[in-house]
Amino acid sequence: MIAAMGYEHILVEIEPPIATVTLNRPKVLNALSPAVIGEVSAALSELEADGNVQAAVLTGGPKVFAAGADIQDMADQGAVDQLLRDQTGRWAPLAGFKKPLIAAVNGYALGGGCEVALMCDLIVAGDTARFGQPEVNLGIIPGAGGTQRWPRTAGKYVAMEVMLTGAPVTALRAYELGIVNKVVPWEMTIAVAKRIARDLAAKPPLAVRLAKEAVLKAFDAPLSDGLAAERKSFYFLFATEDQKEGMHAFLEKRKGVFKGR
Amino acid sequence: MTDVATQVEQHIKVDTEGGVGWIRFNRPDKMNAIAAVTRAQLGEAIKQAERDDAIRVVVLTGSGRAFCSGADVTEMADGAGMRTPEDVGNVLRNEYMPMLTRLRTMPKPVIAAMNGPAVGIGASYALACDIRIATPEAYLLEAFINIGLAPDGGVSWLLPRLAGTGVAYWMLFAGRPLAAADAERLGVINRMVPAEQLDEVVRELATHLASQPRGALAAAKRAVNHALDSTFEQALEFESYLQEAQAASPEFAEGVANFLARRASRK
Repeated sequence: MIAAMGYEHILVEIEPPIATVTLNRPKVLNALSPAVIGEVSAALSELEADGNVQAAVLTGGPKVFAAGADIQDMADQGAVDQLLRDQTGRWAPLAGFKKPLIAAVNGYALGGGCEVALMCDLIVAGDTARFGQPEVNLGIIPGAGGTQRWPRTAGKYVAMEVMLTGAPVTALRAYELGIVNKVVPWEMTIAVAKRIARDLAAKPPLAVRLAKEAVLKAFDAPLSDGLAAERKSFYFLFATEDQKEGMHAFLEKRKGVFKGR
Repeated sequence: MTDVATQVEQHIKVDTEGGVGWIRFNRPDKMNAIAAVTRAQLGEAIKQAERDDAIRVVVLTGSGRAFCSGADVTEMADGAGMRTPEDVGNVLRNEYMPMLTRLRTMPKPVIAAMNGPAVGIGASYALACDIRIATPEAYLLEAFINIGLAPDGGVSWLLPRLAGTGVAYWMLFAGRPLAAADAERLGVINRMVPAEQLDEVVRELATHLASQPRGALAAAKRAVNHALDSTFEQALEFESYLQEAQAASPEFAEGVANFLARRASRK
């Protein structure tokens, strides 16, 4: 295991071909300060460029994912302060991460914490997980995509309930709502997420990357554009060595070995 | 701050011995009816029992002739506690709901020692426990139908799961008592024992459970609670992960070592 250096608020473990980023401020329930966001974004940019990493897990550890932004830090800020700081905009490297990113959520994923989980590609929830957007109770609204990603995944009425009441939903309810892939005992959340990451890391990387890109396109584009983009990527993959290897391995009843070329 | 317990009647008594926390309804002259004070004290007692690491098993029982005769109707009628229909709902949502949920989800076994009748919300407390042991004089009664009220305290969920919808409907429609002997036959209670043996039998069981590996006990309760809300496949998968977590615990290492040592010593 190689631990990446230089972070104060997060831990980065690289166990090729996967990496795990852990929010590591348990005393403040992993509150998402600008410094934390900066570190996560920087770490993901590094992992994006790291050829030894094919998939990543984002977690807050065993007890809590992230109980929102740092209220202490925001309470007396003005609108201009917020705009210039653009805290929520700094999540771009996470939302735009091109490799599979799996959220391993135990305990509270509230406010910004919930929005960050929703930016990931898969969510493994411990049975202690709670997802919610309590911003309305503080006189604000979600600012890192909550109002947009909830309706796109769980539908309008669930999104309205979550945004307007501020009440969190349990892991099992989240599973029923389709925002969680799996509910596991909290002790196993990170281990299960890592296993899924390893499974995905063993797949042809270009196909995984373009599949992720195509699915995300469905959130932004009209169907015709999405279909066109999907088709192009589909044709493009026939230009890769991995496609040849994958199909021949299938025909020869052996396991493919993929190079990401 | 003055100690509330010294000022008011003790509607609930708590004793801890040998890893077992005994929570006792303590209004024998009122057949252990639940008033506002009872609710507050019971809520606190259940919360503490969950938090206290010295308590590994919880027993819920009553003083005197009854287990618990349900909500204190004199209080409901004269309006001291509950008044409007909305108040009735709020007491259920804000007071009974957290307590009953805590009994069902706290990571330790909860035993109802039914020393006598469990009526209305009293029956809910008995049914929300993990295991029930009752005397022949005990019965379960859902009497709200007789005064024009609906089921509450989780009984609409608990009874069908324990005994099926037929038994549940019979109790909820007829408003007649289910005697301990019938309850035992139907699986609503685990065991009926003579009154003079109740304490001893419950103590023996509770002490035995208190000596079981506590993580494994918690895992069993977690697995069952998860399964009650899920499909067979989800339950199988959840169990498989729970087993991994438990297999990684010192409890399991110790359990296997003890098992092998015992087997070796018998040869």
